[in-house]
Amino acid sequence: MTKDNSLNFYSIFKWVIIISFVVYAVFPFLWLVLASLKTNAELLDNPFKLPKVFQFQNYSNAIQEAGLIQLIINSLVISTCATFLNILFASMCAFAIARHIFWWKNVLFLMITAGILVPLNALIIPYYAIINFLNLYDTRLGLILVYCAVGLPVSTFILTEFFKGIPKEIEEASYLDGCNFVARYFRIMLPLALPGLATAGTFQFILCWNEFIYAMLLTSSTEIRTIQFGISYFTNEFFSDYVGMFAAVVVSILPSITVFVLFQERVITGLTAGSVKG
Amino acid sequence: MKIKKDEVGWLLLFIAPTLILFALFFILPILFLLASSFTNWDGIDAEFVGFENYIKLFNKKSFIRAITNNLYWCITAAIITVPLALIIALLLSHRSRGWKVFRTVLFVPQVVSSAAIAMLWAAVFNAEYGLLNFILDNIGLSDYKNHNWLGNVRTANAALIGFSLCYVGYFMVIMLAKTASISEDYYDAANIDGASQIQKDLYITAPIIKSTFFLCVILAVIFNLRQFEYVYLMTAGGPANKTQVLVVYIWNELTVQRLGRGSAAGVIMIALGAMLLLLLRRLLKSETYN
Repeated sequence: MTKDNSLNFYSIFKWVIIISFVVYAVFPFLWLVLASLKTNAELLDNPFKLPKVFQFQNYSNAIQEAGLIQLIINSLVISTCATFLNILFASMCAFAIARHIFWWKNVLFLMITAGILVPLNALIIPYYAIINFLNLYDTRLGLILVYCAVGLPVSTFILTEFFKGIPKEIEEASYLDGCNFVARYFRIMLPLALPGLATAGTFQFILCWNEFIYAMLLTSSTEIRTIQFGISYFTNEFFSDYVGMFAAVVVSILPSITVFVLFQERVITGLTAGSVKG
Repeated sequence: MKIKKDEVGWLLLFIAPTLILFALFFILPILFLLASSFTNWDGIDAEFVGFENYIKLFNKKSFIRAITNNLYWCITAAIITVPLALIIALLLSHRSRGWKVFRTVLFVPQVVSSAAIAMLWAAVFNAEYGLLNFILDNIGLSDYKNHNWLGNVRTANAALIGFSLCYVGYFMVIMLAKTASISEDYYDAANIDGASQIQKDLYITAPIIKSTFFLCVILAVIFNLRQFEYVYLMTAGGPANKTQVLVVYIWNELTVQRLGRGSAAGVIMIALGAMLLLLLRRLLKSETYN
């Protein structure tokens, strides 16, 4: 009998905690979506009341006045290019480290992965100077290079661990059949490593899409501004048009949530890869 | 695989892009930061000034405030967020109904950008239309009607750190993954011995995920040392520098072109990070031997 009671207490405790954190995680977002469909006057009223008419024009206003489409395209182009380059470079390096024996490979691997621990935001002044020196200030290429570089330690780490897990026999067989270094990478390892590439790529894409400080640091013109930096302008641009700001925030959130929902398992495997080592 | 002589070139070529970018965006900036921290560089001229930047920084109240605030962020995350994440991971680890859904829902805020989260919570804390004041007003705490959470010297820091503490999804997923790797045999054996759920958590699961827990503590400290977006977008370090953190401080130095001083602040931030990591390793290592 006592056991049953403790079990009940345990499950009540469990559900209270889980539900309250779920509410905490979801509730502000729901409120945001609801508020983005109201008029500014209704906003000051009861926050839980549904609006009389759903104001979908808040979204079209935000999209037009703030040039949201342009911001989204910029973010997409920059994030996609940076992710592609990052995964290409990291997988090449990871292939070299994970599948070959040379005396300095452990030093190299340690050095690159130690980059995960560097608090990169401390380096904004040198980044600003380096990008200016390379004449890449206020260009898409500048942001792409920086995003590609800051994600390299994590991507190299995830991919090296993944490559190590692929059986050696397949590669050795292809080696005996006369596959050279490049062919082994492109034709044997990359196809086998697709899940690993997807994991690292999802991480990298979300990192690029959500990045704020370098976008603010390294760009100034509206034509290449990314969405994260773009939405932070809303408070000034719209003055008291809060609902427009909310609509813009909702639009900016949607792509990363979509990518996450599509590639959920990959994100979670990526986090696991990190923790198994730890 | 051993490297054949004629493949050494390919090997180097494969490593080169990563190595060059790493040198350009990790090694060079750190050296650059160190060098410019001893100058009065303003974007045009730079003269060697020795330790002047460091001395000036440590005499500034707002800079000391930034360091202590960063320590608050790190410590509260390590002693509140990570243990909360552990509790939720343990609760979900029994694979009860719908655990995957809960895992997803709790993780979603982690994939939303910090900029969007900052703007969302700035709205929640807003004095006029904010959600928080409405709720407080309705449960009878009408003192807080029109209270400006982020603009008030007393509540700004607590509001900022407070709301971010409860986003546990990231650490929860890491620890949950570790619990999934524990063999079911242990629990079967415990069931035969008549162990309760709490006993199983305490004596089987907890010791195994200890190392993962420590990893999460280290990650929490690094993440919070980098804190920028929440503070910059919600209070910009104000009111009266009350919520200042290191990165915002560096940013402000950058915008007034005091690049030498800002670099010195950057060096101090990296040194602080290294010290915290060493300290944690020490603490956690002695813990594992006990």
